[in-house]
Amino acid sequence: MKKVGILRFPGTNCDRDIWKSVELQSMQPEWIWYKQSFLPDNYDAYVIPGGFSYGDYLRSGALAALSPAMSCIKEAAKMGKPIFGICNGFQILCEAGLLPGALMRNEKGLFIDQWVNLKLENSSQWSPFSVGQIFKMPMAHADGRFFISEEGYKQLVDKGQIWLTYADNPNGSVGNIAGVMNEAGNVVGMMPHPDRALFSWMGSEDGLEFFQWQDASGVNQ
Amino acid sequence: MKFALKILPKPEVLDTQGRAVEGALKEQGFDLTSCRVGKYIVLEVPANDSEQALQKAKLMAEKGLYNPLIENYELEQL
Amino acid sequence: MNLQDKLNLYRIQPNEYDRICELLGRAPEGVEWAVFSALWSEHCSYKSSKVHLKKLFSQSERVLQSFGENAGIIDLGRGEKVAFKMESHNHPSFIEPYQGAATGVGGILRDIFTMGARPMALANYLCFGEPKAERMTELVRGVVGGIGGYGNCVGVPTLTGQTNFHESYNGNILVNAMAVGLFQEGDPICLSQATGVGNWVVYVGAKTGRDGVHGASMASESFDEDSESKRPTVQIGDPFYEKLLIESCLEVMKEGLVEAIQDMGAAGLTSSSFEMADKGNVGLTLNLDSVPLRDPTMTPEDILLSESQERMLLICKPEKFADIRAIFEKWGLDACAIGEVIADPVIRLMWRGETLSEMSPKMVVDNAPMYERPYNSWQPPQKTGKVSLSISNASEVLLNILNSVSGGSKEWVYRQYDQRVQSSTARDCSSPVGVSALPSGRALGMVLGCRPHLMRQSPYAGGVDSIVYPALELASKGFEPLAVTDCLNFGNPEKPEVMTEFVSSLAGMNEACAAIQTPIISGNVSFYNETLHKGVTPTPSTGLVGLRENLDNIPDSDLSCDGDIIFLLTFSPSQSTGLAGEMFSQKAQLNYDFDLSGFKSFLDGLRKVTSANCVRSTRVVGNFGLAYTLARMAIAGNRGAKIECDQDYFAEPLYQVVLTVSASQKDQAEQAMNSNSLRWQKIGFVIEEQLQWNDLKVDVAALKENYEGSWRKAFPRFP
Repeated sequence: MKKVGILRFPGTNCDRDIWKSVELQSMQPEWIWYKQSFLPDNYDAYVIPGGFSYGDYLRSGALAALSPAMSCIKEAAKMGKPIFGICNGFQILCEAGLLPGALMRNEKGLFIDQWVNLKLENSSQWSPFSVGQIFKMPMAHADGRFFISEEGYKQLVDKGQIWLTYADNPNGSVGNIAGVMNEAGNVVGMMPHPDRALFSWMGSEDGLEFFQWQDASGVNQ
Repeated sequence: MKFALKILPKPEVLDTQGRAVEGALKEQGFDLTSCRVGKYIVLEVPANDSEQALQKAKLMAEKGLYNPLIENYELEQL
Repeated sequence: MNLQDKLNLYRIQPNEYDRICELLGRAPEGVEWAVFSALWSEHCSYKSSKVHLKKLFSQSERVLQSFGENAGIIDLGRGEKVAFKMESHNHPSFIEPYQGAATGVGGILRDIFTMGARPMALANYLCFGEPKAERMTELVRGVVGGIGGYGNCVGVPTLTGQTNFHESYNGNILVNAMAVGLFQEGDPICLSQATGVGNWVVYVGAKTGRDGVHGASMASESFDEDSESKRPTVQIGDPFYEKLLIESCLEVMKEGLVEAIQDMGAAGLTSSSFEMADKGNVGLTLNLDSVPLRDPTMTPEDILLSESQERMLLICKPEKFADIRAIFEKWGLDACAIGEVIADPVIRLMWRGETLSEMSPKMVVDNAPMYERPYNSWQPPQKTGKVSLSISNASEVLLNILNSVSGGSKEWVYRQYDQRVQSSTARDCSSPVGVSALPSGRALGMVLGCRPHLMRQSPYAGGVDSIVYPALELASKGFEPLAVTDCLNFGNPEKPEVMTEFVSSLAGMNEACAAIQTPIISGNVSFYNETLHKGVTPTPSTGLVGLRENLDNIPDSDLSCDGDIIFLLTFSPSQSTGLAGEMFSQKAQLNYDFDLSGFKSFLDGLRKVTSANCVRSTRVVGNFGLAYTLARMAIAGNRGAKIECDQDYFAEPLYQVVLTVSASQKDQAEQAMNSNSLRWQKIGFVIEEQLQWNDLKVDVAALKENYEGSWRKAFPRFP
């Protein structure tokens, strides 16, 4: 059975949600405490859940990015391990320099919880989806406005690093960006919550398949 | 005229942000006695003389930029 | 300081002072003043309400824990239990709205996880003044921001809420927060009774600062022009710290390391230590100099009265302390031993090797004053015949209602709350009932009650309504109401007219609870909600929790499919001129003509129909009557309706429910309603685009535009 490491920081609060999501894909979730060090090969993939690591104080994700576990994640990223950050996890990956851009306060300055439609712009290692596919899922954040310089944005477009965009931009993100990937496509991050769209009674099941990836040979996991 | 408005939580008030940052820095092995986190605001005020400008900036600080319940501020001409 | 000044500072009445001298056999000294001040405050002692609260209907087969602990607990069967409670934070929120509301959420969460339950849902009941009232925009923004800021960060979804506006709250807003926590199979229930001579008293969580010193006595006082000067006692909440506290406390409880646990809430260390010792019939030694301090200049009195947030007191066997400390350390928190359980039934307060005070907790707690405050005789409202509103141009009136702050969308409020963290939300704040999925696959429903405009008409009828209306909302979605928590917000209990409101609304609530066999298992009383001698609308807010066997086919609340048939169920001919009457300054009328004893079978019948998978949508006819209810359903589903019904557009029936059913399930639904002896009529069907009912004809687009534009109109400067 594939083993997925789920990172927990003080203040992480979607850890148990990710655990459920991973289990639903018949994979074995395991906790990784932020003080822990590990070898990249200890796990088949890594997920950094949402929440408010360190209370989101200073800057969302900034303090978590300094932790020992994140040093190991950097190693794993270099080795091409699939790494997925959601919401606060996305912020942490940006702060750690593993993903381009930064996540700033929403345009109106308020926390927003609402349903959004997302469009897949480019395939990553994490998405066994076809380009152009639409997904419905909730978002819930105050610091989710994706920001990148004009030059940086052009590079994202050129290199196909834009992963997901909002159909209707809710927070002022540059280029309607909801999720991005690194150049290799093994590290991805998104602000909305696939972990909150797992069953029809939740309002959508579109998030379920986000907890799958393709290994380097292109085989679906 | 430009002013720097520095806002910090009052010493006797719990500084939740400072506490979290202090904890994270200590976990990194840094040696520090305390840490407090505040805000730094730069105000550019149109005025004829510096005294008048200072008064205006002071008014802005006191009418809402800082919360007298929990914060102190310092105003400095740049 | 002379005696009168001292009595004022500690807010002790002369007769209470005499009683203290009698109990002690001498005048109180030093920190004893602080102890009595805290424990004999209205807030801690319930001295004006206790006589009446004792009469509440509070038992059922499901109740595992009722009043007397941090929260009530009910058994859901199949190994699941829930703890829940509602509490007010009105005064602190008026002084500093963001922190006041945030610490209100933090406090109610601690009441829940203190018992060993994992917090699973939050709700909030808010009453603001008119949007144009002084400071009101700041208060609305701050309170909503504070609730969201705390709940979102700590990772507990907000599932439902209610936001009211009325001038009686202009100078005293209400901020009531409710929390629900879940026990799964094998999770221990932890209580607060100190036991075991030789056990240690352990302090965990945040350091103690001067926050909220004298806060408990402040909450027991009305606002006056001096409130500004009372400001330095603001408590600061840290949801990040609370999250760590939740995880670490649940872990030590699950590991069986603690004997008793209590959060340090109002009146902090004083109330938690005295109450824990009193419940366990033991004594405690407390070394006040071992309490971790944020400010080393604090005095013993400051330490005893501090209301610094995110702190807990627990009792453990000495040999377990090292394990407890290790768990808290893992989460980055400190745990330190500050005292010991002793056989002598006294609280011995030590400071730098000296005994400051030695008092029996029984003497202080059990002798707290209890007043039978005077009230006037009162009558339930009577049958008066049909009420009528004189309103012409129904279409325009409906649009005006939708465009008002009371009738308009509250999305601006609830979209600032994380409604889905924990991945178990099946219905969010946009639904009349919040629904969370239980691990067993069943559904837990949650809804708040109390309609202030009915309270203004009749505190008795309003009290009944604050139970039966939310119960009906639960039943309309197929939930069985299980239990109630309440938060009784009233004015100055020393005034007989306020006490009359209190007694009569409690009578209404109590009769309703008994009639539907749904007990009140926890709650809170908040008196002295008044400014410059004007009391707020009596507002006994309630939170009801209900259970449904499955998560599938929970009826929606909209008009969604053209051709669906619309039914109207009616319980009684009772009616009120309601909110529309108030809004258009018409003479208030209330025709009260119903038999509470028949309500349970109505509720059960409705629940059976709405769990039978033959109903598409339901909505209880509420504020502003039937036209508004249909309009809300139309807006939600972007569909219209053609209605034929002989009924006032805007009068509020007590009680009716709208049901929509697909044409193919019409027979099944009619049969279900008949076999459950429900009184029903067919009033129309769903069509595209327009709401049509006699001379009322409005496009759904116009309904939507007015409904969604209401908030911006009331608060044009909000982001």
